[in-house]
Amino acid sequence: MSFNHIVIQNILRDKWTYVSYFLSSMFSIIIFFLFSVIVFHPSLTNLDPDSTLGLALMLASLLVYLFSFIYIAYSIMAFLKKKTKTLGIFMITGASMKQIRTLVFRENILIGVLAIITAVILGLVISPLFLMGAKVVLNAETFSMYVPIKAIMLTIGLFLVLFIVISKVMTRFINKEASIQLLKSDVVIEKSIKPHYLLLFLSIMISIGLGYFLNTDYDIGGSLFYVAFFVSVLCTIYLIISQGMRFLLKAFERSSAYMKQTNMLLASNLNAKMKSHANMLFLITILLSGVFLCTSILFSSYYNVEKDSEANYPYSFQYIAAPKASPSKVEADIENIEKQLSTVDLDNYFIEFKSNEERRIGYMSISNYNLLHNKKISLRANEFIAVAGNRKTLPITNVSDDKYLKQFKLVAVNEKNLLTTGFQQTYFIVPDEVYNNIKYPVYKTYLFELDNWTAHTALAKKIIEDFPHIYEERYVTSKIELYDAEMFIKSVMFFIGSMLSLIFLSAAMSILYFYLQTTLLQEKEKYAGIRKLGLSKQELFTVVSKELAILIFVPFTIAITMLCATLFAMRTMVSAAFLQVSMMSSLCFFALFFVSFIFIRKSYFKRLLSN
Amino acid sequence: MGKSILQVTNLQKEYIGEITYKALNGIDFQLGENEFVAVMGPSGSGKTTFLNSISTIDRPTVGEILINGRNPYSLDDEELAKFRRSELGFVFQDFNLVHTLTVKENILLPLTLDSLPADKMQHQLKQISQFLGIEELLTKRIYEISGGQKQRVAIARAVIHEPSLLLADEPTGNLDSKAVNDVMNLFSSIHTALKTSILMVTHDPYVASFANRIIFIKDGKLYNEILRGHNRKQFYQEIMDTLAFLGGGQHEL
Repeated sequence: MSFNHIVIQNILRDKWTYVSYFLSSMFSIIIFFLFSVIVFHPSLTNLDPDSTLGLALMLASLLVYLFSFIYIAYSIMAFLKKKTKTLGIFMITGASMKQIRTLVFRENILIGVLAIITAVILGLVISPLFLMGAKVVLNAETFSMYVPIKAIMLTIGLFLVLFIVISKVMTRFINKEASIQLLKSDVVIEKSIKPHYLLLFLSIMISIGLGYFLNTDYDIGGSLFYVAFFVSVLCTIYLIISQGMRFLLKAFERSSAYMKQTNMLLASNLNAKMKSHANMLFLITILLSGVFLCTSILFSSYYNVEKDSEANYPYSFQYIAAPKASPSKVEADIENIEKQLSTVDLDNYFIEFKSNEERRIGYMSISNYNLLHNKKISLRANEFIAVAGNRKTLPITNVSDDKYLKQFKLVAVNEKNLLTTGFQQTYFIVPDEVYNNIKYPVYKTYLFELDNWTAHTALAKKIIEDFPHIYEERYVTSKIELYDAEMFIKSVMFFIGSMLSLIFLSAAMSILYFYLQTTLLQEKEKYAGIRKLGLSKQELFTVVSKELAILIFVPFTIAITMLCATLFAMRTMVSAAFLQVSMMSSLCFFALFFVSFIFIRKSYFKRLLSN
Repeated sequence: MGKSILQVTNLQKEYIGEITYKALNGIDFQLGENEFVAVMGPSGSGKTTFLNSISTIDRPTVGEILINGRNPYSLDDEELAKFRRSELGFVFQDFNLVHTLTVKENILLPLTLDSLPADKMQHQLKQISQFLGIEELLTKRIYEISGGQKQRVAIARAVIHEPSLLLADEPTGNLDSKAVNDVMNLFSSIHTALKTSILMVTHDPYVASFANRIIFIKDGKLYNEILRGHNRKQFYQEIMDTLAFLGGGQHEL
């Protein structure tokens, strides 16, 4: 019997422990593989790696890899914990620490290699489907299947390294004393959580304080400040969970309900594993909050594209002829555009403004302004209106050193940018007579506003292609084209985001599953004993259901509460429609959770009762 | 003998596997009210299977078991659980205490499952812990007390609901000789003071000598039965003699 024989037998005889470890490793590898299949897709080869999209894809792959690292490390830890007793038996039969480490290392590598191979094969089977999905979501024309050699190599290489590193590091954690101790007595008694109410209070205060400063626009510390806030929020969440659990359990113990039916069993279960339960709750809460915030932010950005494009570029097409452009050429251009737009319903405006090019301030007559806004405002001889030129920047209102408007009185401010954002800093709307006397160069502006503009992306692309910017001659912008480009980026982000949420979600569930696995044997023995005394299956089911429900729905509730708090804090920035979407997605998550709860409970209960 | 608490008729148990193995081969047995019976036999004779069949842990292949006139195997899971916690008390070799509960909570466990009123629970707890001399242990956790103490707690849990039948499977198997004496004296006093019927499986002749009657099982059949007279020493000698005939088991002395 060789050493490798023992390694293999050790795996085969304890299949189920290894299967869950194998599956969770394989799962994260598949996700990474699918991501890299997209990243290395031939249709994306001409994608600029510095663009938002390229960066997002790179970042997502990195995140998935990093996450796999942590996740696989966690799986190995849980798995080692479960195997400690077996290892202890090996140790007292005379295996040296070195042999034990070799054993564990080889086991892990064997499983790792198997997981990588299966994941790549499965990934290849799934990838056409995945690419089809990506094609639909990304609204791309070509996203066909190819032979992803690069993706295969990268996945195999990176994960092989990952398994070798993790296995090597993890074997250092095998503790001889602990393993042998575990052999002597089966029961490891966990230390319970100590009360830290002052600490809890302090951390809540600090988080609230930091959050308050974050809301007010004090510029202190920059990104360091955000990190501090993040860390303090994490600490607060942990303390709230652990101390809250302690407090509630102690209160429950004193209540009269404690001695009723299965309550005592449930409470004692929670009590005995208070610390590890608290850690588990914390971990799942964080993962879930990540998912919820991620999806909400992505939803909101997805949702805002139309409004966002319109805010930047107010018109479907905007053609500005520079003062130096030749009038005949401009006329030809406009004729051409009008011809291309002849098939669609539209409004068009022909206006002009004069620009102080040095200070980038535009002057427009009140009649043109009225034309654009379909209003009938009249200005007295010494009055003017300031209109923003940049999005989200207030217009200049101080005219004390203006050549023409020195003595003028400001009557109104319009914060909405008049034309394409950034073209001028501010526009001053003045009476027509005043405008005529201004001696700055004239910019003739042709505006076309299409009905149902989001439907004309092909047309927009064509026109923008036909009339590129020519410096000091013509400036052509289109909100349709902007919308189209933004939409593509946002769909990719959305796609990546949903994939990431999916990963986090399944990670949360499988971490929970693993956690239950590690204590399954102990629990099984305990319940077998109590069953003999007279605990019906139904009663056992009640205890297990409640315990699982706490593990699953408490993090869910905390995460939802945090999401709501965040949304509430951002309520001025998000629309009511978005809140609806957010509610809907929360409901979807709840459904997903409920299904996994039912599923986990069923399998756990079955295994608790099996022999 | 008064009315019978336990009535076993033609009990058979087959383990079906590659080689079908008959653990019990037709046992008839009666346990009267307030009787203390020990079951002995060599290893593999079927004595634990016998006890497990009675304690409703192992369903027999053939035969009928009536406890207080009721057949526990005709009950569904829910009713069976109720039946166990009202009619039966269990003492196991490995104590079977719940580590996550305190001593007091362990003892009260069968009562809480039935949601008894709190004052009644406390009353019963007080009585039983005084009777068994474990009052000072009540607030401790299971891992803080010794083996003998654990078994006393387990006994307290087994009798707190005043069961009609107390079943014990090698109750002294994990104890040192002093603790064995203590625990067996408890069994005796439970038998005499609480008038509980006891059925106990053991391989230790000394432990068995505390019973009034001993049945011997060999190869899944009732082999012999001896009754205790007034003298326990003489009873012990008779047990030793029977075991010598039986073969196996003596080496354990």
